[in-house]
Amino acid sequence: MFGAGAMTNSIPEIRDTELMFVIGSNTTEAHPIIAMEMKRAARRGAKLIVADPRKIWLSEIADIHMQLKPGTDVALLNAMAHVIITEGLADEAFIAAHTAGFEAVREATRETTPEWAEAITTVPAQLIREAARAYATTKHAGIYYTLGITEHTHGTDNVYSLANLVLMTGHLGVRSAGMNPLRGQNNVQGANDAGASPVFYPGYQRVSDPAARAKFEAAWGAKLSPDEGMNLNVMMKAMAKGDIKAMYVMGEDIMLTEPNAARIEDGLNNIEFLVVQDIFLNETTRFADVVLPAACFAEKDGVFTNSDRRVQRVRKAVNPPGEAKADWEILCEVARAVGYPMPEYKDAGEVYAEMAALCDKFAGISHERIDQEGGLQWPCPDPEHPGTVYLHGDGPLNGTAEFQATRYRPSEELPDTDYPLLLSTGRTLYHYNAATQTRRSSGAKARQPENFIEMHRKDARMRGLRDGELVRVISRRGAIQARVNVSPRMRRGCVWMPLHFAEANTNYLTNDAGDPTTGTAEFKVCAVRVESLESVAAE
Amino acid sequence: MSDNDIKLEIDGREVEVPAGSTVLDAARKLDIEIPTLCMDDRVDPAGCCRMCLVEVEGQRRLHPSCAYPAAEGQKVATHNDRIDRHRKGLLSLYKADHELDQHGRPVSRGVHNRLADYLDTYGTGPALTPVDAPRVARSESLETNPYIQFDPESCVVCGLCVRYCDEVEAVSAISLVGRGSGTTIGTADQRSLLDTSCELCGGCIAVCPTGAMTEKPSVTRLPQLQPPKAPTSKVRTTCNFCGVGCQLDLHTEGDQVVRVTSPKPGTTLNDGNLCVKGRFSYEFIHHDERLTQPLVRGEDGQLHPTTWEVAIQRVADGLRQVEARHGTDALGFVSSSRCTGEENYLMQKLSRAAFGTNNCHQCAAT
Repeated sequence: MFGAGAMTNSIPEIRDTELMFVIGSNTTEAHPIIAMEMKRAARRGAKLIVADPRKIWLSEIADIHMQLKPGTDVALLNAMAHVIITEGLADEAFIAAHTAGFEAVREATRETTPEWAEAITTVPAQLIREAARAYATTKHAGIYYTLGITEHTHGTDNVYSLANLVLMTGHLGVRSAGMNPLRGQNNVQGANDAGASPVFYPGYQRVSDPAARAKFEAAWGAKLSPDEGMNLNVMMKAMAKGDIKAMYVMGEDIMLTEPNAARIEDGLNNIEFLVVQDIFLNETTRFADVVLPAACFAEKDGVFTNSDRRVQRVRKAVNPPGEAKADWEILCEVARAVGYPMPEYKDAGEVYAEMAALCDKFAGISHERIDQEGGLQWPCPDPEHPGTVYLHGDGPLNGTAEFQATRYRPSEELPDTDYPLLLSTGRTLYHYNAATQTRRSSGAKARQPENFIEMHRKDARMRGLRDGELVRVISRRGAIQARVNVSPRMRRGCVWMPLHFAEANTNYLTNDAGDPTTGTAEFKVCAVRVESLESVAAE
Repeated sequence: MSDNDIKLEIDGREVEVPAGSTVLDAARKLDIEIPTLCMDDRVDPAGCCRMCLVEVEGQRRLHPSCAYPAAEGQKVATHNDRIDRHRKGLLSLYKADHELDQHGRPVSRGVHNRLADYLDTYGTGPALTPVDAPRVARSESLETNPYIQFDPESCVVCGLCVRYCDEVEAVSAISLVGRGSGTTIGTADQRSLLDTSCELCGGCIAVCPTGAMTEKPSVTRLPQLQPPKAPTSKVRTTCNFCGVGCQLDLHTEGDQVVRVTSPKPGTTLNDGNLCVKGRFSYEFIHHDERLTQPLVRGEDGQLHPTTWEVAIQRVADGLRQVEARHGTDALGFVSSSRCTGEENYLMQKLSRAAFGTNNCHQCAAT
């Protein structure tokens, strides 16, 4: 592809864009402030193309809304590629100068006509044509996507298909264009940058690369493993299988946020030792042997890196409650207690300096610089470098960018007679993930106090369900209760639930089948059925 | 200077601005102070508060500089007797229509009241009898939203909140309702904000020049009624919710975060905007369920408070014992995209350097 997973362009550029292709992102709820920039651009006259199974807020102001069936993204995107290639809208000069492997994509999309895609996605062929033409013929056209693209067993193919569109139209290295994954959490980008990954050291240096390993071995004074580690999805399954015997979990409620919660529960019961480091007791601490009280973001120093690669400061405003400590201080103490000589860092700035010295991408970034200049966007290789607003301004990073041909394959678990509804999950505006923080705020409680299931009115009527009725939602992996929310946003046959509610944990339903490359689980597609609780009670 | 720049003169000083600029933009470029109430760069100018009136040579009337286009060769005055007289008259009207405190100044609800500033700076004309306009707020028993409070007596009906809600947040939850001197800010049928399209972003509070729109939590701490109990300060930080990376100012009183605001528009990537989570979801910081001491599971299967020494030793022993029994790759380290970059760095360093395993990941799936 073309380099590290990060927005190629910047958030402030959105307001000047001419076309936005938003796919698998309910931006107004998950990234409200980015959505404000999109609204501003749309108001100014930029074209907005939305591809989403639900009639999300943005779809109402969109020029084109492709309401595809969940999990059929590759078919839709390959049909768009087909239109672009067959109608001669591809940027041949860009393809020749900066890319490799285009022929494979041409071959793979030869048969993927919009009519073929219509049969799979239910999106009218004409709409696919219009979207493809508009995207290909607009210069400042950006793609914006989120977990609706990645949280599938074919998530990697989805991303490749999008990247193919970007490359064949040359929408790279241009202002207000590019390929822009909007990061879900405050510091997803920063966690990846810092090497919290089974395959990368800090700064996206591969653990399998002997030169990188030698560098880190020298810096850390320790022998490092050349073997790639397990990703989170694999680790979760390995607990139940008995391959993982101890876990150290910092700042995540894995019981609530990972798919197939029943299997996680088995795993957590199965392991011998569990440490949880967090700010509240949560579902996972029920299984913990040790719980370490941590400081929250307002009580410590450090940096978060946002979606557009911008490293910004977190600053301590108040003291942590009681004896709670900043996570970085706790980690240092644990390391020393197991006999590793972790340096006596004076503050978080020294930790950052140690990391920056080992990573070319961040070498020019320091707490001092951010304090003076504000956030800095990597790559920023030296202290004089101003940071990088958009990537690939002078051609793709690694010389040429590779096309990756993709072929549509259905999601792992599709509806059938026993489980006739297709469930997707996601986040709402008012809550945030495990909601340990937002469920403690009055506004979120007033707006969304409990779990709900959005469904089409005909699906509800067929089952004799009323709006607001309490139902049981059942998948092959578990069952939970939720209230029916009859919603004009839904497609027939599809239902949607948020993931925020511990007492009715939607992840008892979700499928933990992972993408073969990334291990990212299929949160967006699984099969369920819905039963009325009230009629059961009446029987 | 590009080809389409415009050259004009303000208060006798020459200035060049790009085509499409307003007289106010040009004045700002010269650092000439012009008062405004209804103006914000994020919305189209409305020119309705009339505070920014200027005299343009050749024009009979005074014009609002926020909405008046700059033109080649224009000559503008921002301060003279005529403008002064007009402004004083306007301020008299605003004052007569505003709730005043015991010292006869506009009330301040824990936030900066720009009207009070302007009364101090520019003074008023003749004192007018207070206007008894029949303005209504949504009834308190109906308005159950926990965050946003509207006080019609402090409102100058500049409508900036309404325009922000429409043009920036694009939800159009609030609107000007009523007519004449009874015009006020309301919702459809004066419903609770919770029953409208409102997303509780609090932008109306942030743009309000007089503090008529305020945060409910801070209203309980009106400075003139209840001075801050402890020293106050402001700390710039990054929001801990989604991946946009909005900059926040945490306002503290002693060891408590009491309010969250955005830095000024145009200074950070969020351009003065925040969402409901960033602005209001800070109650968790001081929640009484926060963990305050280390806990270890005892023989009875329950978690019990303990000291840091004991807890850290237990962690070290537990991990080392599993490593000894099952090998280092039987350990898993789950880092967090909610924690800082430094903390993620240290977690993977712990896993790799102290234990020698690459089983280190976090919940990031994008």
